[in-house]
Amino acid sequence: MALDGRVLDQLRDIVGAEHVRVAPGELAAFARDATPLFHAVPDAVVHPADTAQVSRILALATAERIPVVPRGAGSNLCAGTVALRGGIVLVLTRLNRILEVSTDELLARVEPGVSTAALADAVDAAGLLYPPDPGSRTVATIGGNVATSAGGLRGLKYGVTRNYVLGLTAVLPTGEVIHTGGRLWKDVAGYDLTRLLTGSEGTLAVITEVTVALLPKPATARTGLAYFPDLAAAGRAVSRVLHGGVVPATLEFLDRRCIDAVEQYAHLGLRVDAGALLLFGDDGDGSTVDAHVRDIAEACTAEGAVEVTTAGDVAQAEALLAARRCSLPALSRLGALTILEDASVPRPRLAEMVGRIDTIAEKHQVTVATFGHAGDGNLHPTCVLPDARDTGAIARAEAAFADIFAAAIELGGTITGEHGVGSAKLPHLAARLGTDQLALLRRIKAAFDPVGILNPGKLGS
Amino acid sequence: MSERQAARHGTAAGAGIGPSPAATTPAGTATGIFDRDLLDRCISCGFCLPACPTYKLTGDEASSPRGRITLMRALAGGGLDPDDATLREQSSFCLGCRACEPVCPAGVQYGQLLEQWRVHQWRGRRRPVLARMLTLAAGRRGALRVLGLLRRAAHRRPQPATDSGPARPQLMLGCFERGLFPGVSRAAAGLVPDACVPTDQGCCGALHAHNGDLAGGERLARELGEALPGRIVTTSGGCAAHLSAVLGRDRVVELSEYLAGSSFGEVRVGGRRARVALQDSCHLRNGMDVWREPRRLLRQVADYVELPSAAACCGAAGTYALLRPKDSRRVLDPKLDEIEAAGIDYLIVVNPGCQRQLIGGLRRRRSRVRVLHLAELLSMAASGHRA
Repeated sequence: MALDGRVLDQLRDIVGAEHVRVAPGELAAFARDATPLFHAVPDAVVHPADTAQVSRILALATAERIPVVPRGAGSNLCAGTVALRGGIVLVLTRLNRILEVSTDELLARVEPGVSTAALADAVDAAGLLYPPDPGSRTVATIGGNVATSAGGLRGLKYGVTRNYVLGLTAVLPTGEVIHTGGRLWKDVAGYDLTRLLTGSEGTLAVITEVTVALLPKPATARTGLAYFPDLAAAGRAVSRVLHGGVVPATLEFLDRRCIDAVEQYAHLGLRVDAGALLLFGDDGDGSTVDAHVRDIAEACTAEGAVEVTTAGDVAQAEALLAARRCSLPALSRLGALTILEDASVPRPRLAEMVGRIDTIAEKHQVTVATFGHAGDGNLHPTCVLPDARDTGAIARAEAAFADIFAAAIELGGTITGEHGVGSAKLPHLAARLGTDQLALLRRIKAAFDPVGILNPGKLGS
Repeated sequence: MSERQAARHGTAAGAGIGPSPAATTPAGTATGIFDRDLLDRCISCGFCLPACPTYKLTGDEASSPRGRITLMRALAGGGLDPDDATLREQSSFCLGCRACEPVCPAGVQYGQLLEQWRVHQWRGRRRPVLARMLTLAAGRRGALRVLGLLRRAAHRRPQPATDSGPARPQLMLGCFERGLFPGVSRAAAGLVPDACVPTDQGCCGALHAHNGDLAGGERLARELGEALPGRIVTTSGGCAAHLSAVLGRDRVVELSEYLAGSSFGEVRVGGRRARVALQDSCHLRNGMDVWREPRRLLRQVADYVELPSAAACCGAAGTYALLRPKDSRRVLDPKLDEIEAAGIDYLIVVNPGCQRQLIGGLRRRRSRVRVLHLAELLSMAASGHRA
């Protein structure tokens, strides 16, 4: 259903003709985000410049009942920015200014199209830290980070995006502009709409400005690496570290298949006889960090680590971190179709969950390698298929993931830790939330978006 | 049925709107334009977006590497008309700098996909006239001579007997370099005194491969490989990357690689060490991973300043500066600001296209910064140059 010429003229009036795209090729380029297997071509792509334009576009879309899919860099992994019901893809990358970095108030105000890395660099230059660091930080936008409450490698010590959002400017689907929260750390006037919109995946409102909290930049960081005979031993080491009163900034794990794949790809000299690899590290004052890294190394040894290394300098730390950075590149080279998934379990159940994943993968005859965040129980089981067009194998992978999400829930976990629900996880959401909560979500969605134009077929549908 | 399944089977509510979803048809099977395995490698993660100069200019997915691969997939799968205007525009708007390759976690060989894409897009009369003329001229030695592009820069040194040939390195002098910058060829020949410098070398075919004539580009590279047996030393990053892609990496040594470890003097300006910066050659850096080597040499002979955009394309991009002069200048302009703010005496290049582009850009601004090829600066250092 191509959009009515009258509607297109109104859109061109609002944003300027060059910022409304309707040519077949221009639309086809927006058929994908970073999610495999979900592709759909929108009816129009619109690039607004400011809040006022977003407001007029949404009011028009509500009046005309046109679906609107907000999009930043399109790096999400839950099909949150694919126009599966057609309509307008609303691209917010022109709103890309860093409006303010305040060292007095420890906050920054940014437009949604700023990349996470650009924000982090700007506050770093002011001696401050914006802690959330999703793997896609060089690409992903702050708007997208807020929309999915993006996580990252420092979740245990520093939390995730939602812990840093102080205030939002957002446009409701009916065109009203709201300002939630603000510059205040304490503010309980009203429901916490800032938190409600954080992680709402573009289904309730379009975010056009974000105020984030910052921290002082830690003076130093150190890194180490330990090999274990199996993941259970690594899990016990993590428990021992936390019992000892240390909350490390970094606690990343690779399972046996990931170690193999990384070594095969990057030849880093990893021990392929190990059952699990744990990358650990902390940041803060020099002496505290040294003590913490020593404590963690001792805990690893006490729980049966077969080898523990700590980096003496930045170059060595980079070499250790390479193993984690290479995980996705290494796995993606094992086949033609890579499905990177996301689930979380309570930290003590991590090793058990990885064991379940192995069993499930075997049952469905697919290869699943798992890496992730041992500190916060967030796993990334990654399935690699040899042939991107083998529909039988894709169906087996989907069945395996359904079992994996069910297992995560059974262990007290969730179907997504940081990637989001979007369309990809929607079929599993009821199992996680239950029917009453799901019904409440739908009523909340209806309160914001009475005719259902914002990101239909996703969260809240 | 989930949306995932629906989308895949083309029955989602939105799937009937506009062109059908690209993924529902196997890539490459419909038209055979692309190597299917190359196209399948892309996982659409978007890590290439911040590295892409044209995405930086527009912020538009269609002019990003991922967006262009999505377009290629739509073309291969029949989702777009083979002569679709966006396909035509984006295949030409792309600089072909391959800055997306080193940042790609999945190892997509974008440069090869672009070459295949342009074979289709610029087939027959669809190829820009200027590109047709240049490739025609460069493919024929006679034409090169008539155009004055093939000067006998290496006349001093006769080609030795064939039996002693392969042991010595073969100095390959890019055809445009010999025409536009004969001083670079002379400097290079002086820096590699034991090299054979055959006078009758043809074009390496990079020009052809990047401009819609992949078969011609490969043929010319093989012919040059036969004319220059053994290891080929080149002064042009673009030629080096193309030759190594066709002949194999072990056959090709770029000049800065070849000279690594050699000692030179220093270049002085006004009683102090010269201050220099480097403009990487895109294909040398992104295609051959050679970028540390020229920097090491520069640090030896001068005070080196790293420009923030040293690794980013200058907009020359082979024929791009001629075919799309406006876009080429939009890419170049911020770099000229950087160069002028860096307080340098010389800007060093390792590719003749970059040399032409930067000389032109800095001349328009009446800048005092001089542009030299690495070979020229090293030659100055070796002879104890003072300015």
